[in-house]
Amino acid sequence: MPQSRKSRLTRPETLTAFGIVVVSAGFLIPTFELRAISALLPAAMLIGLIVLSVLLLVYDQRKAANGEESQPMTQSPRRVIGAFLLIVTYALATDFIGFYVSTVTTIPLVAWLFGYRSPVGLAIATVIVVGIIWAIFDFGMSQEFPAGRFWGH
Amino acid sequence: MYADLLNALPNVFAWTNFAAVIIGVIAGIVVGAMPGLSATMAISVLVPFTFGLEPLVALGLMAGIYNGAMYGGAIPAVLLRIPGTPAAVATTFDGYPMAQKGEGGFALQVAVVSSALGGIASAFALMLLAPPLSRVTLLFGPSEVFWVAVFGLASIIFLLGGNPIKGLISACFGVFVSVIGSDPIYGNDRFTFGQLEMLDGINIVILLVGLYALPPVIDLLETPLKTDGVNSSKLGTESIWKALPRMKGFGMTWLRGSFIGIWIGILPGAGGSMAAFMSYNEARRTSKTPETWGEGEPEGVAAAEVANNADTASALIPALTLGIPGTAVAAVMLGGLLVHGLQPGPMLFRDNPDIVFGFMWQFLFGAILLVLLGGSLATNSFARLLNLPRPLLGSVIIVLMLIGVYSIHGRMFDVYLMLGFGAIGWVMDRLKFPLPPVVLGLILGGFAEENLRLALRIGRGDPMVLFQNTTSLILVALTIAVIVGPTLKKRFVDGRKKA
Repeated sequence: MPQSRKSRLTRPETLTAFGIVVVSAGFLIPTFELRAISALLPAAMLIGLIVLSVLLLVYDQRKAANGEESQPMTQSPRRVIGAFLLIVTYALATDFIGFYVSTVTTIPLVAWLFGYRSPVGLAIATVIVVGIIWAIFDFGMSQEFPAGRFWGH
Repeated sequence: MYADLLNALPNVFAWTNFAAVIIGVIAGIVVGAMPGLSATMAISVLVPFTFGLEPLVALGLMAGIYNGAMYGGAIPAVLLRIPGTPAAVATTFDGYPMAQKGEGGFALQVAVVSSALGGIASAFALMLLAPPLSRVTLLFGPSEVFWVAVFGLASIIFLLGGNPIKGLISACFGVFVSVIGSDPIYGNDRFTFGQLEMLDGINIVILLVGLYALPPVIDLLETPLKTDGVNSSKLGTESIWKALPRMKGFGMTWLRGSFIGIWIGILPGAGGSMAAFMSYNEARRTSKTPETWGEGEPEGVAAAEVANNADTASALIPALTLGIPGTAVAAVMLGGLLVHGLQPGPMLFRDNPDIVFGFMWQFLFGAILLVLLGGSLATNSFARLLNLPRPLLGSVIIVLMLIGVYSIHGRMFDVYLMLGFGAIGWVMDRLKFPLPPVVLGLILGGFAEENLRLALRIGRGDPMVLFQNTTSLILVALTIAVIVGPTLKKRFVDGRKKA
């Protein structure tokens, strides 16, 4: 049975195709300020993306009209969003409060939140990983990691 | 032509280069043994760490990882019926029933010997076929090089299978990313939005780590794998030398599987899983006892494993000579070469023979080392890896990704960019948009644009210059064949079914 209009428009492929069209159209604007030869390839690619996304959208909507269910992108959206937010937070924390503090916090926190609940195992793993990173990169290769913008670095 | 191959041999035996292959093979087996991790992901995470290393050390690590991971995938395939890598799916058919009969140790030894033989055959194919092919491609001018780039993109989009619209979208995205930064001829800023960090364009490593490493990490955290644990003391492993006599009837299967793997590896877009399935089916079809297959037939493990390793080095034949990778791992390896200033293509063989031929030797030694590093003691140890907690593994990989990307230029901007590509990569992965065309688009996009412009300049703006010689016309014909071929084949097969 054909799906309702709302569920048809919220199918993952339809939403993605629509997103590509909008973003590509946005990126097309700066190409008007470029020399023709410089704009040739990027404009061709962006127009290509728009045309192909429209085709993808039509193709997906036809499937919806035929009653084909769309596959959900994830079985557990909360875990995916949580994982991605934690990774982004780790990057921001590294930038603002420094690499070592963020890493010592992130390794056990992520592992704990996602199901590994052994305090001893977490402590050992964190010490080993951070120790190896320090020995190889900081001590061995003199690699400087972010010290944190909050502390004026 | 082959003198350079022999001249490169002493370099490979420098202890750092040799140690790199050993470490790579061990790391590869570990990665392959962990369901959810792949050689592509491991090499993507590794590439930024190789910046400060000598090229042969870096390439030795990659060659080792690639060889090791292909065998490592067999460990969970045999013990848990969960393929560690997609190429190990066919290994589960007979490997797991063998483990249930208490022959898991022997199954893994068949896998390691077959993987090593497949890898050795593949390395020889690379050594024999790549040098003459590179000679031919040295004769190419700008218009031919442009068409080679177009052919490469077309083949990876249309031969990869799946939805060609999605393949084309992936390729357009990759080519678009390649034009970000300063225009190479006029110096105009393109899509930098005033960010100085983007003037030099998008570093391929940032894209690789984002696309290939972040989605598997999210997968690791999303679906915690529950196993009952692997008791490696019950594997029943014996010395590999004692196990060899039981494999004496596998010669034809190994030979056939090697040829299939090498052929599939050379074809752009196919890959190890297809090679393993084809080899398994052929071996079963020609077997005198096909009824025992699927119930714990060791020859089935041999057929699958020899073929999925035989496609490793051979996938680099088009990659090194033409810049067209046969598999996703080969695409990532091209990125690894670029990091060290080595542009894949004919010039690579002329300008850096010691490195490119040394890399080939490293593939051969990596394959041989598999037998030594995959013995009974190692097999038991690697089997224990399956008990490692996935959330902990995920959190450590996140840290490694950040360090790797940050250390390219020492700036957080690249890390944020990588996270953006990672989010895009996750969506693409879930919606089955192929990822190799993005990487190839980024590698070939700039290359194609530069040669297109050069050809147009030579032809004083006349686009017909692109069609004025035989080689260009052959490449155009091949590109059309690659685009139209799968559709015609499908129609032919459908027509026969109806008839």
